Amino acid sequence: MNPEKLSPLDPLIHSRIRLGILSILASVEEATFNYLKETIGTTDGNLSANLMKLEESGYISITKTFSGKKPKTTCRITKKGLDAFRTYLRNLEAYLKFKK
Amino acid sequence: MEELDPEQEIRFIREMIERTRKITAGSWLFLLVWGIVPILAVAGMYTLVALKKFSWIWPNWVFFVTLGIVFSLIYSSTAERKSGIKTYAQNAAAYLARGCGVAFILVGFVFPLMKLYSWGIIPVLISLIAGILIFSLGGLFEWNLLKWCGTLFWLGALGMGFLHENYRALLFIPLIIVGYVTPALVLRSRYKKQSEAHEP
Repeated sequence: MNPEKLSPLDPLIHSRIRLGILSILASVEEATFNYLKETIGTTDGNLSANLMKLEESGYISITKTFSGKKPKTTCRITKKGLDAFRTYLRNLEAYLKFKK
Repeated sequence: MEELDPEQEIRFIREMIERTRKITAGSWLFLLVWGIVPILAVAGMYTLVALKKFSWIWPNWVFFVTLGIVFSLIYSSTAERKSGIKTYAQNAAAYLARGCGVAFILVGFVFPLMKLYSWGIIPVLISLIAGILIFSLGGLFEWNLLKWCGTLFWLGALGMGFLHENYRALLFIPLIIVGYVTPALVLRSRYKKQSEAHEP
């Protein structure tokens, strides 16, 4: 395969935290902020910044509610985000095949 | 910005997805409780029959089933809050369990009270519905053990047809031990292993 024909990896997803967010959200219906933070292993500020980037690009939707008196932030992947993630995975696999 | 090479990224994606599966394994307690509840109810029923307290049989069943329902409601609301995620499989399983729960109540309590059939048919129908529930859960969670357990309940329903109606409910006990309690304990040990693997 011609290396020039390899599609570039989406820079919005090509980051450990954003990749982690989309990997989790692609396999569940929704996930809370705290779950994402603990599973990916990052700080509140770092996660918030990355979630905002993904939300601004339309890859995820964020809902803020209350669980009793505690604020609860829930995230879901959008169709655009899921398509982008799938494309990312395909491009990643193509790159790995080329490397071999 | 922390970047991973492509192979690391694939491993990372797999790890993230695997962690969401840990929550599914945490459902072992549901299976265990809904295995123990009918066993206790059946044991209670036969004890009451032996003591000739026939009028207590329905309250015995109502008591244990209500206990199971109350546990399910409390556990599902706290588990959902604690887990932090909602998976498609869990959602589908919850609806399936609720639907089968309604069927259990109709078949086990409402229809017999309406005298649509004799009480001797109840264990057969309950086994049939339990088979549907467990087999379908096996399909949802891609777990062959549950599919086999569901099939066992159907075979149990068939087998009950060859027993006198007085003894059909007794067959529930081995069916539930194999079909509910065993998968619950297997799931529990998986959950423990997963929790240990993901501890920092």
